[in-house]
Amino acid sequence: MFIDNMINQSGAPLLEQVLQFTAARHKLIAENMANIDVPGYLQKDLDIHRFQEMLSSAVENGQTGLAADDFDRITNDVQNPTNSILFHDGNNRSIEQLASDQAKNALMHNLVIELLRDQYQGLNMALAEKVS
Amino acid sequence: MIEGLNNLASQIGGVGSTGSVAPAKTTGATGGASFADTLKNSIDEVSRLQQDASDAVNNLMTGQTENVNGVMTAVEKSDLAFKTLLAIRSKLMDAYEEIKNIPI
Amino acid sequence: MFDTLDISSSGLTAQRIRLDTIAQNVANMNTTRDANGKPNPYQRRFAVFATGQVDNPDAPGVHVQSIQLDDKSKFRVKYEPDNPDAGPDGNVRLPNVDMAIEMVNALEASRAYEANVTTMEVTKSMISASLRLLA
Repeated sequence: MFIDNMINQSGAPLLEQVLQFTAARHKLIAENMANIDVPGYLQKDLDIHRFQEMLSSAVENGQTGLAADDFDRITNDVQNPTNSILFHDGNNRSIEQLASDQAKNALMHNLVIELLRDQYQGLNMALAEKVS
Repeated sequence: MIEGLNNLASQIGGVGSTGSVAPAKTTGATGGASFADTLKNSIDEVSRLQQDASDAVNNLMTGQTENVNGVMTAVEKSDLAFKTLLAIRSKLMDAYEEIKNIPI
Repeated sequence: MFDTLDISSSGLTAQRIRLDTIAQNVANMNTTRDANGKPNPYQRRFAVFATGQVDNPDAPGVHVQSIQLDDKSKFRVKYEPDNPDAGPDGNVRLPNVDMAIEMVNALEASRAYEANVTTMEVTKSMISASLRLLA
């Protein structure tokens, strides 16, 4: 329990959940990109605003992250956003939206990796008792 | 960086801005802050900076802020403060070892 | 994360097959005889995409379901009485390939191909960033 507390200190579980969420969202964006010319294909996405709201309420309640089944539910809840034009072939693609979503998602993913690495490095430094 | 460490050394010495190094006092005296108080303040400062960094990261994750620069700066500041505290601790341990080995 | 690369590569394959059909259409723009040498003008072909991988329609991705003949658009007709392939009225039936349409489709296919390549690059950078966690 003591080792558990040390490893899960200061937001590392929350960062890991964000990492899994962005990875799942990247997979959906890649699928949308591959199906950009398929007639009748509707774009898929995860609800990132709801995810952020759930994270925010978890942080306010002092939890270290979302509960496991809440997190599973929101990561597997694939939706069809309807904010782009429906073309004649039944596909509501928008390559500009996809490209910008992909860039934002990937940047957030890489940023969270850096933050996590930084935290673990801090722990390593403290344990090794020297400034690395 | 050498100047920074010299500044730290003079502050720990207890007099600070005048530049002369007074012998370290272990109890609060009529002069400047005691060494124990300075150390405690430094630890509180590091803890505060780490809490700030953690709050900034949480704000970024929950979408309440878009200021990535601010978050990275806060994280870097807390990192530097922690490394400084660690370096001070190492120097103190080395000094203690040296004093311990002085033959009477 | 690694199966995200499979999704993008299925997109690449599908777009390349589409580009192949376009290339064949353009190459056969003036073909008036079929493989047996009989007078039978070349019919334009196009690729039909569908969601899902080739071997597993439920897995995410895209694949070419079939390559179909375009029998909706009419053959081009040209009056050339001394052409050996001319009909009794002196008209030659040429393939129903419109260069402008093929070029625009080729542009679209190459744009979609680039989009999938970009997605693959992004996936690779995300996986490489995860490797830095250990460093």
